[in-house]
Amino acid sequence: MTADEIRGHIDPIRDQFAEGRSLILPALKFAQTEKGYLDGADLEAVGEAVGLTTAYVESVATFYDRLYLQPTGRRVISVCINLSCMLRGCDELLSHLTGRLGLPSDGGSTDDGAFTVQQAQCLGYCDRAPCLQVDVGETQGPMSLDDADALIEALRAAPTPDRLWR
Amino acid sequence: MPQRHIVYLHREHPGDMAQLPEYVKAGGYNGLMKALADMEPDDVLYQLHRSGVRGRGGAGFPMGRKASFLPKDSPRPAYVVCNADESEPGTFKDREIMEFNPFQLLEGIVLAGYAIGSNHGYIYIRGEYEHQARVLDRAIAQAYEGGYLGSGLLRSRFDFDITLYRGAGAYICGEETGLLDSLEGKRGQPRLKPPFPAVAGLYASPTLINNVETLTTVPVIVAKGADWYATLGTEKSTGTKVFSVSGHVMKPGNYEIVMGDTSLRELLYDICGGFRPGHDFKACWIGGSSVPVLTAEHVDTRLDYESCETAGTYLGSAGCIVMDDSGCIVRSSLRLAHFYRHESCGKCTPCREGTMWMEKVLQRIVDGEGRMEDLELLESIMGRISGRVLCALADGAVAPIESALRLFRDDFVHAVEHGSPAREPMAPMGA
Repeated sequence: MTADEIRGHIDPIRDQFAEGRSLILPALKFAQTEKGYLDGADLEAVGEAVGLTTAYVESVATFYDRLYLQPTGRRVISVCINLSCMLRGCDELLSHLTGRLGLPSDGGSTDDGAFTVQQAQCLGYCDRAPCLQVDVGETQGPMSLDDADALIEALRAAPTPDRLWR
Repeated sequence: MPQRHIVYLHREHPGDMAQLPEYVKAGGYNGLMKALADMEPDDVLYQLHRSGVRGRGGAGFPMGRKASFLPKDSPRPAYVVCNADESEPGTFKDREIMEFNPFQLLEGIVLAGYAIGSNHGYIYIRGEYEHQARVLDRAIAQAYEGGYLGSGLLRSRFDFDITLYRGAGAYICGEETGLLDSLEGKRGQPRLKPPFPAVAGLYASPTLINNVETLTTVPVIVAKGADWYATLGTEKSTGTKVFSVSGHVMKPGNYEIVMGDTSLRELLYDICGGFRPGHDFKACWIGGSSVPVLTAEHVDTRLDYESCETAGTYLGSAGCIVMDDSGCIVRSSLRLAHFYRHESCGKCTPCREGTMWMEKVLQRIVDGEGRMEDLELLESIMGRISGRVLCALADGAVAPIESALRLFRDDFVHAVEHGSPAREPMAPMGA
């Protein structure tokens, strides 16, 4: 994504912050929506738009789980693996999903670029455990294995979103 | 004991409280109107102080005292920051408050701003709560349109703006100084304190930072009065509290109860429907995962700050994770150790290295490769972490595991001898 496109996103909110550096997370999150992850050129463009070095931008980007510096699938499925979900069978849910998609048991991305499955820490839907989140959509649960199968079919049939919010 | 939806959840209200007209119809913004018409900022501060309300994010620090630490003569602007980074395992109360009662939170932030002489508030919401962030976006827009935010709000001379800021996935950004660094565009690592945020918080300015639930309390305290509020609960635990209950109970969910009114037993068996047939209570982490575990011996503990401390734990965020006798305490401890290792920000060596070793040792015990001396090794590692770090994450990592090792020693010994490979089955139960 170009620095100008990023500026178009952050300029309207610039005056809400006493220091421009606060715009780095909104900028990174927006820059990521183009490909679903950030490459070196994106980090450079964010730095240019916010007024920071690329090295600094990268140091911030590597801190957060939901900023990706490696390619992801078109849809990212985050399966909560924390304690409340573990007690309700999330390990079985995760291994079912990864098994069905032919991925390593702890997650990964499919060869066709359709899906990334990853482990997530507590998503805050423990009352609906085991739960999972697709991209930044509302977290879903409790998920049965049949629900997981139906979800994969529905996502395969759905068009790729215009912007890949993660 | 009944639940009492009188401060936060308002489930009995027939309308959609996430719409401004419904919120106003339900008595919303009475507190702000009263404050702007009849109260000086110090009067509001006094009411918060007098109410005894304690921080609902986990630390339980009295809100009025925290607000009173802000210097009155600072040349820099003061800020209100709402911590909506709810990430403590087992905690999902702020999610429901923001989704179904967002205006009460916004009103609370404005009132807090009025009390401390601030004109700008920030809500830092975890990136995973995009659904709730969109609810707040709409609520903030409606509040501006209705004159409940902006310059000269409610035709007064008071100006107040709220900015919603989305995080990007990091537990440590729920630690207040980690949150402030993240909001300032840095890696979200905790700061050395002092200075505390009250003196040098956001952009080195005086900052009042409170949890969603805490700030949502403020309109009720101002509208109905601190004296009314303080009649609820106990002397040291005033008001109601939302308990997020999850794990092996039949009816997990958020339950608002008057503090001190209810015991853990009543919460688990009467309110949450108890356990599956053939199973019973084994353990619970009552204040989120970062607190010492409780056993069946503690099931009559009253649900308030001081009773939890007497039982050897903390009320924390009241994210109550419950395990029945089908669960394995060693595997549960490993799962928590994995979490803290993953979320340690890396700034302090004892935490970064210690949480890694805790996970490694627990992993080999679960895998059946443990040695009896691993139990002492675990204790030794944990003893080298606590008190040697900048923030509470490491203490949170040690508390549940140190207590489990002490209270369920036989389970750990058994795991060293036999491992604990069995995976928890899918456990569909309850609503």
